[in-house]
Amino acid sequence: MRKNKVICGLVLLAILQLAWGSRADARELTYRLKWLFNASVAGDIYAEDKGYFTKAGLQVKIKEGGPGKDAIKEIELGQTDFGVASADQVIRALEKGAEVVVLFQIFQINPLQWIYRDTLPQITALSQLKGKSIGITFGGNDETIMNTLLAKGGIPKKDVKIYSVRFDFTPFLTKKVQIWPVYRNSQGVILKNRLQAEGENVRFLNPADFGVNFVANSVITSKKMIETDPDIVDKFQTALLAAWRDAMAPANQESTLASIAARDKDNNAAITKLQLLATRELTGTQNFGSIDKDAWIQTEQIMLQEQQIKRPVNIQDWLHK
Amino acid sequence: MMHLECSNITYSYPGTDHKVLDALTCTLSRPGFHSIFGPSGVGKSSFARLLADLNRHTFLGKIEFTEIQTVLYSYNLERLPGWSSAGAHLDKVVAKEKEALKQELINIFELSPLLGSRFHQLSMGQQNRINLIRYLLQTFDLLILDESLANVDEKLRQAIILTIKRIFPQKMFLYISHNLMEVSTFCDEILVFGGGSTGKSYGTIQGQNCCSSEAVDRKKVDETMLEIMNAF
Amino acid sequence: MLFRRIYQFLLVYFAGISGLLLVKLLVGLSDYVIPGIPLIFATAGETAKGYFFDVLNTLQVTVLGQVISIILAFTVGIAGRKSSWIGSFIKMIAYNIQAYPIVALAPIIFILLGDGFIPRLLIASMICYFPLLLSVLGVMSSPVKDIEHFYIITGKMRWQLEVKIRAFENLSKLATVISGSATLAMAGAIVAEFIAADAGIGYSIRIALYQSDLAKILVALFMIGIVISIYQGLLESASERIQKAWAISSGN
Repeated sequence: MRKNKVICGLVLLAILQLAWGSRADARELTYRLKWLFNASVAGDIYAEDKGYFTKAGLQVKIKEGGPGKDAIKEIELGQTDFGVASADQVIRALEKGAEVVVLFQIFQINPLQWIYRDTLPQITALSQLKGKSIGITFGGNDETIMNTLLAKGGIPKKDVKIYSVRFDFTPFLTKKVQIWPVYRNSQGVILKNRLQAEGENVRFLNPADFGVNFVANSVITSKKMIETDPDIVDKFQTALLAAWRDAMAPANQESTLASIAARDKDNNAAITKLQLLATRELTGTQNFGSIDKDAWIQTEQIMLQEQQIKRPVNIQDWLHK
Repeated sequence: MMHLECSNITYSYPGTDHKVLDALTCTLSRPGFHSIFGPSGVGKSSFARLLADLNRHTFLGKIEFTEIQTVLYSYNLERLPGWSSAGAHLDKVVAKEKEALKQELINIFELSPLLGSRFHQLSMGQQNRINLIRYLLQTFDLLILDESLANVDEKLRQAIILTIKRIFPQKMFLYISHNLMEVSTFCDEILVFGGGSTGKSYGTIQGQNCCSSEAVDRKKVDETMLEIMNAF
Repeated sequence: MLFRRIYQFLLVYFAGISGLLLVKLLVGLSDYVIPGIPLIFATAGETAKGYFFDVLNTLQVTVLGQVISIILAFTVGIAGRKSSWIGSFIKMIAYNIQAYPIVALAPIIFILLGDGFIPRLLIASMICYFPLLLSVLGVMSSPVKDIEHFYIITGKMRWQLEVKIRAFENLSKLATVISGSATLAMAGAIVAEFIAADAGIGYSIRIALYQSDLAKILVALFMIGIVISIYQGLLESASERIQKAWAISSGN
């Protein structure tokens, strides 16, 4: 009986924790990344390392992301205040009633692209995909994007050889698959480097070149946070954007690399440098951090067409002004 | 002549210093229904197991078998496999040429109605009788019966002992029992194992070796019983 | 036995769902974090049939993997039952390997064999093989002295008989281990599919996870639970029948 009471008490405490979470002290903010500490989150690392948040009067703890980590869920559960999520995650969450707002868009060009050897002719028209063996991760963004590319190119699925992508690159390295999905600024760099070492050159297929603009990672927070603590949101956004801008500035390259090296456990200086350069290209220079509204609308349309969502979510209403 | 002689047998279980048998010297000089008698824990069963499987045990002293090739050791609480009936099991472990003997023993041991039953369905006395039969139907020169008739009623036990003595006069039996009267009445040579405070003691007493219930001389049996009791 | 398994699962499952819904209600969470009843039903309507066949696909691997591991475990267990050097060697190897988390080897298996049926089968077999082997080794290397004595002393003992006696005497223990290993084999198959495969319920769960779709995962869990309950219930009923047929249901 006593044991049951203790269990009931613990369950109640857990529920209360879920209900109120870290809201008890809004000044202690947490920021959940989407992926592990490496060059692709250079600006986030730089912000914490160089004290951008502290200077803005905020106390922010950055938490590493990874597979299984979902910033939107954590925001809703009150476990984190800000986070990074991909556009499809945001749209899916909105469809299911979550109230998350996009603060700014980290990547102006989606890092999710396809790598192929230069022994294949450069793909300048989608029709060239016909007959090729293409890797896609079933259920992943790349499936949605590739389906859109194929539909746009008028290529029935039976005219390409789809290969289910796993965690290792072996099928691409062994040439079993010709066109392989990669994150341009992480695996893309590693694969390119590795193949170049063996005398092979590669190219990347960027869906945006064919008019498919599927938005990638963005910084998000809850609608409630914007309503209740607009100052904090402003300060956080300003500080983080400034940090990203500075981290991507060529003049700060060495300093940024040093910050990454301090956090990235598997740091390889040469690779990290290349990854940083690739990340810089993807974040853009002129329109840094800006929200590409058209791309968001297109992303929503693609997801509707691909039946990833069943009803429109009017994504433009959830993009922070 | 069939003969068993043990000289100065000292035996301890591996890993212990306790002497289960301490300088045991004894002789069983002829075939027949002999016995080991003594209180619990004096080493009767250990001695029996030693005789049954000399090669597996390390002991001091000497054991000599004359005209004894095969020693079998049966004991109370042995079980038959449960996947077939007692009768089917007997059919499997008894040679064809012993079929007639098997039937005779089954009748005397009063087991006919039980042959269709599984071992676990039998009472303890019935289980012991089935177990004993299968040993009696094997090839052996010396068969040790370690409380093999426990839980069998007295009348039937007597009949079984007399049957064994009648059918197997050329074999040697070593009957371990706590029934003083029975041992004194029906056994030939009785090895008495004592284990008092002064240490182990061993002796051999001549039993009445009766071969029928009518031949029992109560007075002599009483004398034998007294002699055994005094031997402790 | 079969129905008890099923309703026990249903009780646990619906208790779990109720707990989730209670949290959703208390905290006011969206369907993205914890799906509501209408969404679960809608998702079930869309995916239940497909997931059912996915689970059957996984079950095929499970059953085959379990059969292989039972055969292997009995072969090695029988070979390793003796207290000879080879028996001790087999036991030492088995005890050491079972201490290693087999799932950690899965990526190597997939790199070497690619994805498909064989790697799934291999991982399912490996995951349920070692616990089975330890039980079989334990049973096979423990003499049933009060039965075996007669056969040994009369020179009638053969290895087949020794194995039969020990297996028979430990039938309920072996039956429990075998039916329990079904869950392990299923878990192995699902893990394999989850890491890398192109079929099965584990693969479907991975896709649902990519899409953060908890409703799909709940439907998949329901299908897995129902199917494994039926499978385990059937195994238990079968083992009960075998035990009854061998008449050890009482008094032993």
